[in-house]
Amino acid sequence: AFPLPSLPRKQPTVLVVCGPAQNGAIGLVCARHLRIFDYEPTIFYPKRSPDPLYRDFTTQCEKMDIPFLSSLPTEVQLINDAYNAVVDAVLGAEGEAGEGREPCAAILATLKHVRIPIVSLDVPSGWDVEAGSSGGISPDVLVSLSAPKQCARRFLGRQHFVAGRFLPYDVQKKFELNPPEYPGTECVVAL
Amino acid sequence: QEEAQAIDQELFTEYKFSVDQLMELAGLSCATAIAKAYPASSFTTSQPTVLVVCGPGNNGGDGLVCARHLKMFGYEPTVYYPKRPNKPLFEGLTTQCQKMDIPFLPEFPAEAALIDELYGLVVDAIFGFSFKGAVREPFGSILGTLERITVPIASIDIPSGWDVEKGKADGLQPDMLISLTAPKKAAMHFTGRYHFLGGRFVPATLQEKYALNLPPYPETDCVLQLT
Repeated sequence: AFPLPSLPRKQPTVLVVCGPAQNGAIGLVCARHLRIFDYEPTIFYPKRSPDPLYRDFTTQCEKMDIPFLSSLPTEVQLINDAYNAVVDAVLGAEGEAGEGREPCAAILATLKHVRIPIVSLDVPSGWDVEAGSSGGISPDVLVSLSAPKQCARRFLGRQHFVAGRFLPYDVQKKFELNPPEYPGTECVVAL
Repeated sequence: QEEAQAIDQELFTEYKFSVDQLMELAGLSCATAIAKAYPASSFTTSQPTVLVVCGPGNNGGDGLVCARHLKMFGYEPTVYYPKRPNKPLFEGLTTQCQKMDIPFLPEFPAEAALIDELYGLVVDAIFGFSFKGAVREPFGSILGTLERITVPIASIDIPSGWDVEKGKADGLQPDMLISLTAPKKAAMHFTGRYHFLGGRFVPATLQEKYALNLPPYPETDCVLQLT
């Protein structure tokens, strides 16, 4: 969605905001690959999971010289100026539980006002996984994991990708997922 | 060989990568490289059938991951996996393949001609860069048969049976080599048509430390065609 040459800022900076659970961990893996793809990710990961797998993801990012912010600027303009895009890996399908609690609530309040594009992983954070949102964040790009969630119907942004090529055929059939054809060897497909 | 082992060690101990993570990325690279060099539509067999021969170690694990991704890319892989380590990682990978209806042969095709008839490609995932010393059965006979087939062979990391640095002039002559992380010294003796680099997970600092001098991967591709 955002090829390197298309980025408006001089440096290909991306802010990756990671929540305390699985969605956040996926954000960490995403940040690492963005670094390998020559982007300059910065991570904000205020509430770190104790899960050993997720702790290792954190180490991998740190050892790859990906900076971790100690706080999220509340001045939205600072975010707009420093980064080309924000990856929202705060809350996933388990969103309902986390939304009201800090620090997620404050993060989401800030993200609602950024002007640079937001890419949400699986579910726009803070949205109800089925009903969608009223007054929540409005991402530019949504990457549905495995298959789109019900709330994806309310997605109004520019691009919707599905990343679910790893699902075995019988799982797809069992849940009647009817995924689209993935092009070539790509692991994502634009819907 | 020692450098390759040292890099791996750093990835596991300093960077805290798990074997699962890197094996998945490596196997995916192999499947991707194969799909680029041997598109399913180019097979002369009626279905794009591929025989994946998996050895007793990590190279075999890479092969299992590769087989799974080949299936998802529309190929029809069949696995031969005679010596299976008693570890959850390999048991998991085997289950994933079986649950995706990838057949596991009970025995290796007896004749080279049979392989030529049934499969359009063979993936050699027998031995990798840790290989040392003599080849134990059943792999000696398997390699003997593979040396006589005419369908192309794609070797993962090191053509099996080759010395990791010096190669083996009278050994397997694969059509394709997928070097993982960085090409090994043996790659200098590779004379096949396709040489790909895979395993796009080495952090820049490590690349510099070991002076890998890898050319850049294209965009978000997980493989790079070297020749």
